[in-house]
Amino acid sequence: MSSAEALDSRHQSTTAADRASGHLTVVLLGNPNTGKSTLFSALAGIPTRIGNYPGVTVEEKLGRFTHRGQGIELIDLPGTYSLVAKSPDEQVVVDVLQGKMKGVTHPDCVVVVADATNLPRNLYLVSQALAVGLPVVVALTLGDVADSKGIAVDHAALSQELGCPVINVVAPRRLGIGRLADTLVEASDWQPPTPPVRLTSCLAAADPARPAAAAEAIARYAWIDEVVNRVVTRQTDHRRSTSDRIDSLLTHRFWGTLVFVATMLAIFSSIFWLAAPLMDLISAGVDALAGGADALLPEGTLKSLVIDGVIAGVGGVVVFLPQIAILFFFVAILEGCGYLSRAAFLMDRLLVGVGLSGKSFIPLLSSFACAIPGIMAARTIENRRDRLLTILVAPLMSCSARLPVYLLLCGAFVPNVAVGVSWLRLPAVVLAAMYAIGVVVAAAVAFVLSRTVFRGPPQPFVMELPGWRWPQPAVVLERVREAAVSFLKNAGTLIMAVSIVVWALGSYPQLELPADEAADAAVVKGEALRQSFLGRAGHFIEPVVKPLGWDWRLGCAAVASFPAREVVLGTLGVIYNLGDVDPGEEEGASLLIRQLRAATWDGSDRKVFTLPVALSIMVFFALCAQCASTLVVIGKETGSWVWPLVTFGYMTGLAWLGAFVTYQAGTALGW
Amino acid sequence: MRSLENIPIGSTARVADVAGEDTTSLRLLEMGLTPGVDVTVVGTAPLGDPLELELRGYRLSIRRNEASRVAIRT
Repeated sequence: MSSAEALDSRHQSTTAADRASGHLTVVLLGNPNTGKSTLFSALAGIPTRIGNYPGVTVEEKLGRFTHRGQGIELIDLPGTYSLVAKSPDEQVVVDVLQGKMKGVTHPDCVVVVADATNLPRNLYLVSQALAVGLPVVVALTLGDVADSKGIAVDHAALSQELGCPVINVVAPRRLGIGRLADTLVEASDWQPPTPPVRLTSCLAAADPARPAAAAEAIARYAWIDEVVNRVVTRQTDHRRSTSDRIDSLLTHRFWGTLVFVATMLAIFSSIFWLAAPLMDLISAGVDALAGGADALLPEGTLKSLVIDGVIAGVGGVVVFLPQIAILFFFVAILEGCGYLSRAAFLMDRLLVGVGLSGKSFIPLLSSFACAIPGIMAARTIENRRDRLLTILVAPLMSCSARLPVYLLLCGAFVPNVAVGVSWLRLPAVVLAAMYAIGVVVAAAVAFVLSRTVFRGPPQPFVMELPGWRWPQPAVVLERVREAAVSFLKNAGTLIMAVSIVVWALGSYPQLELPADEAADAAVVKGEALRQSFLGRAGHFIEPVVKPLGWDWRLGCAAVASFPAREVVLGTLGVIYNLGDVDPGEEEGASLLIRQLRAATWDGSDRKVFTLPVALSIMVFFALCAQCASTLVVIGKETGSWVWPLVTFGYMTGLAWLGAFVTYQAGTALGW
Repeated sequence: MRSLENIPIGSTARVADVAGEDTTSLRLLEMGLTPGVDVTVVGTAPLGDPLELELRGYRLSIRRNEASRVAIRT
């Protein structure tokens, strides 16, 4: 079936009703990297709605503006190269254009955004849009860049060829925006364009020996070649453009790799270091809030719920906001200037070997800081299979929340001896090994999944390397705002709910103490946790954790760390009767270390914490999915509760297996 | 017939045909790799794959696997 037939559609009654209510629905259609987002911002400002289309994880972006008293709703469609749908993104585009998308008004008019520097390929989508059955306006962007490259597009002639208005816009400088808006208000009353006669005859002459879609593609380019010959003039002076020179440096085998490594190191370290002061600030704010609640609320359940449940749970996650904002700031800049696709180009070969693609690199690197921004950054991967696979293995990268656990256990139980050379100490080697385990297991999991569950025809890698340009500040800020808002929404809803549930499990049933017993607060707190549902769960799972060398209290601490891995330190403190332990405080940490070193199995004087046990705990935490927020975000980003469950299941399984092998091997080797 | 995969870096060739009838072939055609178009292999990634191409005035990256489907005129 040809795309022209596929797109033959009838207006639905919604259009008439909408027209009566007075507002127009306009869709923005265009190839990726055409400046579509910049045009959206220039026309409609900040989007009024960002979300997903029902049932798919394709972003829906809506904006509203008024021009000459006419209300206009603008729908920004995902960037697409063709209207013959081959991916969920493209299917959404086709459905919206045909008015078949649930909850989306049938559009009154289509704006096709076309890049003047790259007209031939952009005209492909334009030629398909002309057959959609809606009024079409072509917005010709990046004319200024085209000028500097010696490319001149005769837009009046192009308009003649296409049979629809063609308007030059330079969105960052708002040139042509008013004219475009004028045209939109008028265009909605027009009849859909009649596809150009030459296009129709090219399509009619399509090679019948080929599959229809392929023959149609070739026929469209035959028409495009004719049009381009008539409307585009290139200066014969074929000097290399600045973009070409930058490109040859940045994709160079040696220099390109060097710049890439330096860029990634800079971004990676800024997620850690630039974010640190802001994170401290938020932590202090959360503490102040908890302090305020402590002073205001009467002793009792409500106070505990607010402070230990809501504030501790949500606050512990909100501290990651600066990391998310910083990461998205850099990703948006890299995307805006065209480097994101070069990064994918450079890293592709390395990641293809394990079943991922070059586009997985930045999400995976970011996950070393925190899996949440990493998983959110996977939005830049268009291919659904690659995106899902990246999301599933991203939590295996050792995030910053695992670091305190590693540091404590390495410091307390790994002998500080030299390995080979005097400056290389065993604790440092073990620490590095924990990071390596995550990477190796992620590679293995991706390899296996891509050849089993996600097996299918090989995913093609056909990626445009857009010209180098300056990132648009409005678009960069919009990306950061978008990521921050969606993260805070999750923190305020699902993450809060999970925190409250875990708090309740750790607090009920409440401990009943004999009135006369004036017990030590730390002992009471420890006893309360041991008696709670969570503590009972620890007892219940003891047979499961025993092969890992753990006693039931360790099992309990592991279960209690479900909200976030770093919670395990506090829980260990509570369960071994320490009271709350702040791992950052030297005094507290050493107290915790002493307490852990002294801990013995119930009813014997055999020590719980030996080197194999410490290693087995570290391996468990390197591989487990004890991070409720990550699971919540996976659920949100994949639009399904299946994937968080799969992630939790496979990671917990691997964590147990890894810890088991570590403990058993360590014991057998007599460590 | 030679394919785009095995022409030297820096050289330009004319596309003869794109093999296969699946969505990958269609995507290659839609991106402008149609019979008769001139394509320059600008370079490769550090590990030799994917390739960076220039055609119809823009840069496109495809893996060797996809490039092997693109037959060129000799």
